[in-house]
Amino acid sequence: MRQIKNSTIVCSVAASMLFASQSVLAAGELNIFNWGDYTNPDLITKFEQTYDVKVTLTDYDSNDTALAKVKAGGHGFDIAVPSANYMPIWISDGLLLETRPDQMSNFKNVKDEWTNPDWDPGRHYSAPYLWGSVGMVVNTDVYSGDINTSAIFLDPPEELAGTINVAPEMGDIIGMALYYVGSEPCTEDMSYLKKARDVLMAAKPKWISMNYSINEPFANGDISASVYWNGDAMRTRLEIPAVQYGFPKEGFVLWMDSVVVLKDAKNVENAKLFQNFMMEPESAALASNFAMYGNAINGSDEFMDDVLATAPEVQIPAEHIVNGRFIEMCSPEVNKIYSSIWTEVMK
Amino acid sequence: MGINFLKKRAEERFNVEYVPSFPALAVICILCLYAPMAPLLFYSFNDSTLLTVWHGFSWQWYETAWNNERVQEVTFRSLGLAFQASLYSTILATMAALGTTRVAKYRGQGAIYAVINQPLMVPEIVTAVALLILFGSIKVATGYQGSAYLVLAHTAFCIPFSYLPIRARLENMNLTLERAAADLYASPWRTFKRVTFPLLFPGILAGAMLAFVISLDDVVITEFVKTPGKDTLPTYMLGELRREVTPEINAISSVLFVVSIMLVGITFLISKKK
Repeated sequence: MRQIKNSTIVCSVAASMLFASQSVLAAGELNIFNWGDYTNPDLITKFEQTYDVKVTLTDYDSNDTALAKVKAGGHGFDIAVPSANYMPIWISDGLLLETRPDQMSNFKNVKDEWTNPDWDPGRHYSAPYLWGSVGMVVNTDVYSGDINTSAIFLDPPEELAGTINVAPEMGDIIGMALYYVGSEPCTEDMSYLKKARDVLMAAKPKWISMNYSINEPFANGDISASVYWNGDAMRTRLEIPAVQYGFPKEGFVLWMDSVVVLKDAKNVENAKLFQNFMMEPESAALASNFAMYGNAINGSDEFMDDVLATAPEVQIPAEHIVNGRFIEMCSPEVNKIYSSIWTEVMK
Repeated sequence: MGINFLKKRAEERFNVEYVPSFPALAVICILCLYAPMAPLLFYSFNDSTLLTVWHGFSWQWYETAWNNERVQEVTFRSLGLAFQASLYSTILATMAALGTTRVAKYRGQGAIYAVINQPLMVPEIVTAVALLILFGSIKVATGYQGSAYLVLAHTAFCIPFSYLPIRARLENMNLTLERAAADLYASPWRTFKRVTFPLLFPGILAGAMLAFVISLDDVVITEFVKTPGKDTLPTYMLGELRREVTPEINAISSVLFVVSIMLVGITFLISKKK
């Protein structure tokens, strides 16, 4: 009996030790709250060594989870990496510290087009992390026409009909349909919303699927085109060279995640250091190399893997970038209409 | 021969325990439950980065997962957490089970039973949000960010899973032996230690193992309660799904699946043992 007791105690002590936080040898600490599978371990090591700071990384799986946890208070994080469409909520709810990344020493490295985004005017709160787009992924062996148009999925050419996949993302897809009919996402003009609905419903019989995976269907030949994210488009091209990525001239969707410091951060100075650090070319390149998405920092190309540095999916040509736009969150009224359109499309 | 057969038929017909075509139903149920797992297990041995295009047999994803430091870290954290949560919840559940079966009937017993099993009824997301808010204010007040929050939360929702097998076991043990011990002047504590506990032990072990598996598998509550740096294996896996999904996730899931099945299997064998 005694022996059982002792071993139980030993076990629970061992378990507690396993569980105890690692000893902190570094001078400072930094708690980063970022999307899962999105932070290069080498990036963290580099920051830790440069500034003698112990970094603790925690994952989140959605903007909503991150927002809920931070709003509840007492979260213990210093840094979060929200998406652009959520940024206005973070700012207006007073969750962020106005750290003025625009006055930091590395801000000069930020590419011009990213210095003044609508969702954080003048970048008073956020430093850029990574960004990407939603465009047309097309197998050019099957269709050799113009791929820089949403007609690929909204008015499909004969060659592609029946082999098109559409990412099941309500905001992005209805937004692109609204651009296609000459309006803007979140418009309250019912006539345009109706047009967008009609275009989607007319095109739908020519789609084969609405799925989150394109790599394998392209490899199998099940699909020849898809509305999808640029990172996956690039990975698919590396396996099937004929797969190209098009930027619809009617308007396509951009997304960007940015590094922010939370208002109740405990390690504000280290968090600011991290924001500045992320605007260094080498750090931005490390983030890109891991997540396979582009960054917003001039001079990062030379530290990037060749595959990325030369990828047309990542390095958007200037003639196309002007057609890329960020989609904001729509008003509750418009959201209701979106939902009913989406329900019909998904049926 | 013919008469025996007819007798057997008659026995089956009037036997309340006999359900026609039960074996067929059982096979269908097991297929429905486990068939979806088959592709997951199958493709975890795929020699390709693609999830569903077969390239050949390989252990590479198991090796990748095994050598992934992040996976090691979160796995050890999950095991440690499951160990603590199952230990504490089983202690509490044992006390609760004794308090609701080994005593004279009292008012509110039914209510207590309902309260103990509340985590089984309430949707997990409700508990998660409630704990998020509660722990949020505790964190603000105390500044403490350790792993105790996860241990507390897991212990709480594991209690009914430990409680049910222990209670079932207690209800099948009649009071004769305990009465005999009392007649022989054994103190209540001594009776418990020498009579009740040894008889109850299989139930306790079954309860602890069930709690261990439940804690190991939890996602929703953990995602909301975890403090900085306290990712568990399931929340890590959830984060990994955001981008490209590689068969590494299949490999990890397969291991988790096999371990869970094994623990539940052992639990079943233990609780069957008389």
